[in-house]
Amino acid sequence: MAAMRNRLSFALPLTLAVASLFIFLPFGSSAEFSFRSYSQDGKLMHSLAPYRWIVEQPEFLSHLLLSFKIALFAVIFTAILVVPSVAWLHLKAQLFRPLVELITLLPLVIPVVALSIGVQTAFPDWLQSTEYELPLMYVVLALPFTFRILDNGLQAIPLKTISEAARGLGASWIATIFYVIAPVMRRAVAGAFFLTFALSLGEFTLTSLLHWDTFPTWVTSVSQQNIIGAIALSVFSLTFAFLVVFFASLSSSRSKKRMDATE
Amino acid sequence: MKSGTLELAGISRRFGQTVALDNLNLTIGAGELVALLGPSGCGKTTALRIVAGLERSDAGTVALKGRDVTNLSAHLRNMGMVFQSYSLFPNLSAVENVEFGLKMRKVERASRRKTALELLELVGLDTQSKRFPHQLSGGQQQRVALARALAIQPEVLLLDEPLSALDAQVRTNLREEIRRLQISLGTTTLFVTHDQEEAMAISDRVGVMSNGHLEQIDTPDVLYNNPASTFVANFVGTMNHIPAEQQGDLVSIFGKSIRVKNSNGISGSISVLVRPESIEVSRAAGSGNAKVITRSFLGASSQIICQTPDGAVIQALMPSHESGDLHPGEDVTLNVTLNEVLVSHV
Repeated sequence: MAAMRNRLSFALPLTLAVASLFIFLPFGSSAEFSFRSYSQDGKLMHSLAPYRWIVEQPEFLSHLLLSFKIALFAVIFTAILVVPSVAWLHLKAQLFRPLVELITLLPLVIPVVALSIGVQTAFPDWLQSTEYELPLMYVVLALPFTFRILDNGLQAIPLKTISEAARGLGASWIATIFYVIAPVMRRAVAGAFFLTFALSLGEFTLTSLLHWDTFPTWVTSVSQQNIIGAIALSVFSLTFAFLVVFFASLSSSRSKKRMDATE
Repeated sequence: MKSGTLELAGISRRFGQTVALDNLNLTIGAGELVALLGPSGCGKTTALRIVAGLERSDAGTVALKGRDVTNLSAHLRNMGMVFQSYSLFPNLSAVENVEFGLKMRKVERASRRKTALELLELVGLDTQSKRFPHQLSGGQQQRVALARALAIQPEVLLLDEPLSALDAQVRTNLREEIRRLQISLGTTTLFVTHDQEEAMAISDRVGVMSNGHLEQIDTPDVLYNNPASTFVANFVGTMNHIPAEQQGDLVSIFGKSIRVKNSNGISGSISVLVRPESIEVSRAAGSGNAKVITRSFLGASSQIICQTPDGAVIQALMPSHESGDLHPGEDVTLNVTLNEVLVSHV
């Protein structure tokens, strides 16, 4: 038993080291590459020139803002469509949970080509090819992950019993949602939001198939003219996504600490 | 006193093909504690949920203090409820949980905090008021839930198996505490449980339910000593089933003829229902009519298990000082100390 624990305590840092190599080696190399530029006599130097080149691109800001806007809409649609559906599933339709769980896996199984065309034709005309169709599709793409985060969050809480308790204590349905359901779901909801946001910012395949030009697709087309600039863009967006996730987890762990500290 | 009478009249409810409640009539007087006792699926929880307004009934009315509340939404009924599973709001501390109902009633902050702390003191948790549910034990959580239900000064307190998830020791303590509080506050209480000992211990009256209807509702003493049906007799307390032959309205058992209370007049093989304390065991002068298998000393009383020559195993409960000389293997004479018995027609 002790020998096994020793082996485990050795295995963990090793795994971490290998995993970090796997992540940081390509990222570090890309970062190094992204700072490269060549002097007039062909000598290799490192400077911020590729990043300056990015910012000077006339379409840089507009594509970035479009991606942000779409990601934000995806989060809003998740809040309106997915969060209440999962809460309702736990409150009133537990029987269908396994079925819904299976359905939410479909976006992982169905090829994106089929998904994009199929979903687009299913949209009503007034929605097709508007900028709202992409966020709606991203909500579907993120469903395997967002559903699981929300579902796991709710499994730990007897949502039905506590909402009944709130009703019995004089809370109307609106008050129950506001004072009980929303607060207990907050952390799971925050997780689902960040995931949707991150996925929406980086989605390429579906976007490209539907002929939309967002930040990721623009990066791809730019890479064909300036390879160092394209790598610099990737490093930029990767760092940015990492920072978003980092601050998200930081703020949620801080709010947990605050809950524990009020003892 | 705020509590009033609760009246259920002709309540029926079916779920698909299953009848959960079949024309249930029940009146609980002001300040009375009535338990609904029955096996799972007998409809007792459905009845409680209909009273709470969390479930609708197909027919019948629920009246509180003479006012019809059948169609009143759950949050307007002013009933306190304690659930079987832990139901505290996980994001609120103990005192905030107790305050919740008062907050919904727009009671001002300082005054509701004061009431909540008083109630926590009443259930012995005033020192734990700032703790969150996950920092409290199961028993403590149910105490907070009880305080929370009482904070709104409910007209009726509804207890849905509140003790089932707790250990034996905590369960006994908490049930005494519930009874003490219920008496001192005079709250009309409906208590649903499948544990007959629990129901008998703290209720003014116990209603035994089976298949969606009340078999019998009476004081624990009457239920135990004078059950109206074999179902009640079997469900409440321990019961011997002694095979015998019925002749007309009489049954012969251990050589004594006893009147059958629930006779159908038909002669034949039946089982006589006799409680262990209604069987007297004495040392036989000759061969007797049974042999002692074991004697278990339980303190003031002892349990003696005997077997008759035809194989029936019979349990008797006797004062220990009268049964000290009954040893395993001994020939004994059994005697039923009743003038009237219930039989089960098999």
